[in-house]
Amino acid sequence: MQLSSRLVAVLALGTALVSPPALAEMSGTLNLNGATGLIDMPSGDAQRDSTFSFSTTLLGPITRSTLSFQFSERLSGSFRFQTWRDWNSELPGPDKESDRSIDLRYQVLKEGKYTPALTIGLQDLTAKGLFGSEYIAATKTFGDKLKVTAGLGWGRLGSDGGIGSPFGSRPPVDPTGTPNADQWFRGEAAPFAGVEYKLNDSWTLKGEYSSDAYVVEDRRGLIERDSPFNFGVEYQRGPATRFGAYSLGGKEFALAFHIILDPKSRPTGGVTGRAPEPVKARPARAADPEAYDGGWVTQADAGSLLRKNLAKRLAVDGIAVENLSYNATTVQVRIRNGRIDAGSQAIGRTARALSHVMPASVEVFEIVPVVNGVGVSKVTIRRSDLEALEYTADNSTLLRERVTIGEAGPVPDYALGDENLYPKFRWGLRPVVRLGEPIKGDIGLRLSAAYDLAPGLVLSGSIYKEIASNRDPGTSKSPLPHVRTDSGRYNEFGDPALERLTLAWFARPGENLYSRVTFGYLERMHAGVSGEVLWKPVDSPLALGVEVNYTKQRDTDGGLGFGEYDYDIVTGHVSAYYDFGNGYLGQLDVGRYLAGDVGATVSVDRVFANGWRVGAFATVTDVSPEDFGEAGFDKGVRLTIPFNWALGTDNRRAVGLTFRPGSGDGGARVNVEDRLYDPIREYHSDGLDPDWGRVWR
Amino acid sequence: MKLLVAGLALALLGACGSDKTGSSPVMSAVGSFAKDSLAKVSPGKKAAATGAAKGGKGTDPSKRRAELEKAGKPVLRVSSKAMGLASFVKIADAKGPVLTWATPDGATFSQRNGVLIQTRGLGGDLMSATGPSVAQLMQPGQKYTRIYYFLGGDDQGVKRTYDCVTTIAGPDRIEILGRAHATTHVVETCARSGVKVKNDFWIEGSRIRQSREWVSSGIGHIEFARVVD
Repeated sequence: MQLSSRLVAVLALGTALVSPPALAEMSGTLNLNGATGLIDMPSGDAQRDSTFSFSTTLLGPITRSTLSFQFSERLSGSFRFQTWRDWNSELPGPDKESDRSIDLRYQVLKEGKYTPALTIGLQDLTAKGLFGSEYIAATKTFGDKLKVTAGLGWGRLGSDGGIGSPFGSRPPVDPTGTPNADQWFRGEAAPFAGVEYKLNDSWTLKGEYSSDAYVVEDRRGLIERDSPFNFGVEYQRGPATRFGAYSLGGKEFALAFHIILDPKSRPTGGVTGRAPEPVKARPARAADPEAYDGGWVTQADAGSLLRKNLAKRLAVDGIAVENLSYNATTVQVRIRNGRIDAGSQAIGRTARALSHVMPASVEVFEIVPVVNGVGVSKVTIRRSDLEALEYTADNSTLLRERVTIGEAGPVPDYALGDENLYPKFRWGLRPVVRLGEPIKGDIGLRLSAAYDLAPGLVLSGSIYKEIASNRDPGTSKSPLPHVRTDSGRYNEFGDPALERLTLAWFARPGENLYSRVTFGYLERMHAGVSGEVLWKPVDSPLALGVEVNYTKQRDTDGGLGFGEYDYDIVTGHVSAYYDFGNGYLGQLDVGRYLAGDVGATVSVDRVFANGWRVGAFATVTDVSPEDFGEAGFDKGVRLTIPFNWALGTDNRRAVGLTFRPGSGDGGARVNVEDRLYDPIREYHSDGLDPDWGRVWR
Repeated sequence: MKLLVAGLALALLGACGSDKTGSSPVMSAVGSFAKDSLAKVSPGKKAAATGAAKGGKGTDPSKRRAELEKAGKPVLRVSSKAMGLASFVKIADAKGPVLTWATPDGATFSQRNGVLIQTRGLGGDLMSATGPSVAQLMQPGQKYTRIYYFLGGDDQGVKRTYDCVTTIAGPDRIEILGRAHATTHVVETCARSGVKVKNDFWIEGSRIRQSREWVSSGIGHIEFARVVD
């Protein structure tokens, strides 16, 4: 639920830094709903795979903010936050009405030489129905400038110029937030059509015949509509920004602004940051056999000297040496990667540094990335391969064929640790934006501190102070224990608030096993103890986990007390994680949630090698939709944008966001920090392989 | 909107803490962006700052050459107008036929027998490549393949295979920092499904004295001239 303030800067930079190569093919454009289409109508087009867009559009008193993502070549989804101002100008009601909606679109047919692209879409498929509609749309391109679209809409898109109800009448909406499947494609259907003409790479003209009568808005005097025809002009500025101005129905004027990001294309053109040190070549063994003598291992001060030299070289890249162990032919170094976003690059830099530091007799480099004090994998590189492949074409593929990635194993008994790393105090003060809606939330400052007591044992906490907020204060009427819906009270009374104060212990209970125990003030609303065990073999796409928590609900004042709520509960989940390949990750959690409800969460994420991540989740529990509230059940979309993608510089931080169409107390989990799966997967073969090429970066 | 503005202001203020591993990325990006645009506007200034690379106005080329030769080490001139790059660089690594040249601000260029095969630290880097030998370049009309490897924007490896052929443009007398060289100008044309890449080489005897070589779609061409052997 958080957005570091840098998202804004990232987006601003994203638009500023992109140089404008023209889009060669005519990919789909976005409409006022932030979805692929014409002006107000959808089209049969899709965006290019993995396109992510953020749209803000204004139509009279209606504002729509939409996040859309082309999840695969054919499937795309949107999350929209819509507000109607002056809602009560002619009919009673609140001054401002707002609605959140989720769309899904599937391109059934791709455009062929003679056949059009055909898309089926569900607009606002779960919410209370102000925006609910379904459609089939076909789009055909003629030449490289003209596109013609025709379609049939139901629901809102069937409200003007209807031709009858081919699939029966549309039942009234059941306002529980569950998918309105019984409504889909029911009721009056109406045709719509439109054309799109591309004048040049920057300018596009659009015209359409709309089947949306704006019934609700018309009745409330918000929108006047004389004709079903809409016209407009759009201006594309570089690949990342697009503006639109439209005339709707002869009487209304609309504006659109889209930010279009492609996770697969870096605004900076590539990873910046210093070039690596060249690999240091050893003398040929025949020429200098003495250099290969292993006698150095008996030198008393060899270990501390080597470790110090290595640490100095790696500090340049933000890599800390946890410990070092060696014999005459093999070295094992355990590293903590603090800055480089790609694990493979951190491994490559470490291998290069080892080539400079280790005596020539050492042929095998074992590099063990350490996360939260525990080793998560062991990457074994032969030094002669490193030397031989440095300047060979396709060296990343060739090196990967010769490298093994295996179980980290225990820390060798004779390992030399670094007395400067434990115990160690760290702190930070950072500006933070916490968003609940695409443009609603608060900004503030977070003071965080951590004390690394020993490898795997860390005491940490954070305090948050709000600076400004545009959240709508709300009061919870939930019939369930208010495990989440009192967030308004927590924001209001707890400022500043102690967000977290925990003692966490990470360990490796066995081969392929990882564990975590976190004790203390786990999050804003709940405190207690949380334990987790994860089974994840290094080269397995499958991981299994178990988590058990006992928590008490905290006071809203952000302090240490528990007097306000008399609520404690044992929650827990069994989880399965699966990497389907090509960046699609799935997760299933089954268990008991914070309000005592029992159920399951399914989530699917598309993860890009560069750290971008876009996903959706849904939780169904035994809480009835009525008790859950407007949204019916917990669901939402989430997204992570790495700073490195936008800025190119070495940086492991990222912006993370989660949007829900409505929150409730059902299906809620404790927000404990440092759950095991993601940071461990990063250094397993499924995390290292997609961007393995960066090993030579 | 207010929230966005405040957020942007905060972002620019950056963060602070004991953790020095992640400086203020926004500030550094803004800094490098500003630097880049400055360099683009006035390449002359940048050139002056990095040691009057082109031996530009106000500097006597032969005097500059004498300074460079004094060190007794090989020097390569690397320049790209589009990138605002103009630098005299030294050898950072030599392994057989491969020489790696490093700029003071942390970019490297690796050449095998004078043909560019890798870059680092430029952004859209050439991660690795096959390249022709000088003998191959001097055989006009004879076809050969060249493979370039990049990292895509999503950090996945990208492989581009080109069919190449050279033509000899003719003898060309070129001047590099006040010294004349009698060279043969060879043009290498590489094509891949409608995309063409052109590289120019000025070959003196059996070695490449000067070249203008394509790096990647993001970087474009970079010019290299061997000033001091």
